[in-house]
This record gives sequence, C-alpha cells and structure tokens, in this order.
Amino acid sequence: MAEELDPKISRRYRELGAEEPSRELDQAILAAAYRAADRPHAPLVAPAGRHRWYFALGAAAILVLAVAITVQVDKQPDPEALPPLAASAPSNRVDNFSSQAEKENKRQVEPSRPLADAGPPPVRERRKAPPQQTAPAVSPPPEVQNTPAAAPATPAPPQADSRDLSSGAAGMLGRQEQGRKSREAAPAAPTPEATTKPQAKVQESRAVASIAAPLSPEQLLERIAELRKEGRHEEADKALAELRQRYPDYRISDEMLKKVERPK
Amino acid sequence: MTEAPDEELMLAYRGGDARAFETLYRRHRARLFRFVLRSIKVRALAEELYQEVWMRVIEARATYRPSARFTTWLYTIAHNRLVDHWRRGGLSLVSLDDHDAPSSMPDPAHHAEAREALARFAGALERLPPAQREVFLLHEEAGLTVPEIAAATGSNEEAAKSRLRYAMAKLKAALDDG
Repeated sequence: MAEELDPKISRRYRELGAEEPSRELDQAILAAAYRAADRPHAPLVAPAGRHRWYFALGAAAILVLAVAITVQVDKQPDPEALPPLAASAPSNRVDNFSSQAEKENKRQVEPSRPLADAGPPPVRERRKAPPQQTAPAVSPPPEVQNTPAAAPATPAPPQADSRDLSSGAAGMLGRQEQGRKSREAAPAAPTPEATTKPQAKVQESRAVASIAAPLSPEQLLERIAELRKEGRHEEADKALAELRQRYPDYRISDEMLKKVERPK
Repeated sequence: MTEAPDEELMLAYRGGDARAFETLYRRHRARLFRFVLRSIKVRALAEELYQEVWMRVIEARATYRPSARFTTWLYTIAHNRLVDHWRRGGLSLVSLDDHDAPSSMPDPAHHAEAREALARFAGALERLPPAQREVFLLHEEAGLTVPEIAAATGSNEEAAKSRLRYAMAKLKAALDDG
C-alpha cells in the first residue's frame, strides 16, 4: 500500500472541499432509522411489508404440506393389513415426502411415547410401526426405532432448518436473521440416535426446510430467473427489488444479472 | 456509546437501539456523501443514491454480521448502488475501467493559479475511469486498505491495487502539470 500513498495527492484532494449531506437529508434518514428500530425485523415471526411475498409462499407451502400429510394419513390403510412386500414395491419410492413423513412419524411413535410430552402429539399415534419402509431397498436401522422424540404431525421447520444449514447453502443462509432465529429457537441438538436416522428422514427434513427456511440470495435469484423465463416480469421486478433491499451487500454476477434483470 | 466501534453500534441498532444508528450515521455521513458525490458528480443524484445506501443499511440491519469492518460493508452497499446506477446508464463493469470520462469542468484557464491547480486536479479526478475513481475515493474517503477495497468492489487485490496505482499516477500527473 505504501507505494500508492502520496501525501501531495491526499492534501490536494482535501482541498477540493468537504461537502456534506443537507440537514434535511440527515433528518430524513435518521427518522427512517428510528421508525425502523420501532418495528420488529423478524419476518418469520411477523411477516410484513415488502418481505410478504415469500413468507406468504412459505406459509402456503406449509399449509399444503400439512393438508397433504393429513390426507395421506387418512388414506393410509392400516399397516397391519398391508401385505408384507407391498412396501418394497418400486412405486413406493416415488411416493411424495409427505407420505414418507407420515410413515416416519408412525415409526417413531412407539418407542418415543414415554418422551412424547416434549412436543405435540403425532397424528395417528395409536398406530403401530409398520414393518415396511419408505426406502424399500434398505431395512431401517435399529436406531430408528429408538428415536427419542416423537415427530410432530406438522414438520418442525427450525430443526429441519438447522439440519439443512449443514448442507451446501449454509454460507448464505447462515447470514439470514430468520435462519439464525430459527436455529436459536430449535430444540436441543439431536441425540446420537437421532443423527443416525435413515436417509429418507434427512431428505424429508431438507425438503421441509427448503419450504420453511427463508431463501438464500442464490435461491432467490434462481427463482427470479424462472419468473423472467415465464414472462412474469412484474413479480420478477418485485422479487429483485426485494433481494436488493434484503441483501444490499450481495453482489449479483453479471451472468446472473442478465437472467434476472428485465430485458431491455 | 459514541466511542463504541462501528460494528458494536450496528449490532446495537440491530437490537433496536436507534441512537446507536445515529452515532454510526454521524460518524460516516460526510465521507460517504463525498464518496457518492464525487463518484457521480451530480448533487441531486448523489443525494438520492446516498439516501438509498442508508436505507439499505437500515433495511438490512437484521442480516448484518460483523464478519468484516462495518466500513467495508457500508461501502460495499454504496458500490453496489453505484454499479446499479452505472448499469442503468448503459455502462458495463468493463467499460468502467476502460474509458476516461469526459470532463464537465469549466476551462480553468481563467482562474487564478491556485484555483487553476485545484481545478486541474478536480478535472483529473473527474476524468478518471469510474472504477479507478471509485478505488481512489474508497482509499481517500473511506480509508479502506487494498484488500478491503477489493472486498468492497468485488474484485481481486491485484486489480484493486492496479486501479489505485493508475488513479494515483494520473492525479499525480495533473499535479505535476502545474
């Protein structure tokens, strides 16, 4: 750095003047800052203002998920009545994860009943754990049977979120206040048994997290690019403005910018 | 509180302490304003962008993490706003480096010698390619180091250093002309 320093240049630069913002501008900014300080800024708790759209989307997705689980639970025949090989049929692989979640719930209900007072009671708690699995090729590890906490009928986003943070998007998501709050609000770290849940359970959690957790800038940009492709420019404009407000220091690459900006 | 580091003030503001923001604002207002003003030259536009930068700071308080100096974060936001401004004007990031901007300064020939030298310097600063001028202003106004400039502008250190060197050389030439 030393070679760039030139006191003569600095001195001459200082002679150019010391312009300052007007008092009105100062007042306007400070007033906005004071107003903002009075408002809560944890949109997961109180979604408001311009952040509304993806909270609404997330809430709607969670609602749909909950309904889907309920419907699946209602449709599900008694596991005891199922033929033993039914679950290993390949068609079960493409079952949606709502169904998987429900089955996971059922699997966990039996052993966790003594500890279940820590969370909401699972749907269909009366059912016995079925012998069949959602991942048909692999038998469930015995630890699954010992999972201590009963999985609630509605997935718990905070826990899923914290698990999701360990995956690729952790860096960006980690910057998000909601993510932080979610993690802070999350239940205690899973026990060793819980960490050995089958892959299906982890995937389920990630799927839930992707709905419940706030989107990272990269995810938002991908979504905006999709909106552009679909010609939904108004929504894309709003989302882009939202992104820039929420992540003012996030730099959009030129390549991505071409995809997300309204074509001229 | 007035002696507290910027990062602490910003965290306090994130926690709802508006007076912390006021302290922070007063600490940075003049330098940031000059950075914006001398980057885009038109006062009305500079005021608009300057206000936008602070609004972004306010809106993004929830996501603020003191992983770097607050100053770097603040000027990163300012840089992003300027880039948006330049893009709207049809300039690409490459062109920001390549083309010397035309000067709108009046001919200084009729000024007294001291004013003439200053005007020459101001003209040279104004004619710097935006990317070089920005790096110079980040160095002079914000007091950022080369690595911090690189971080704020999304470039690598070599590029930042090179831009600063070019800017200094041109400004020095303007001084020496006198």
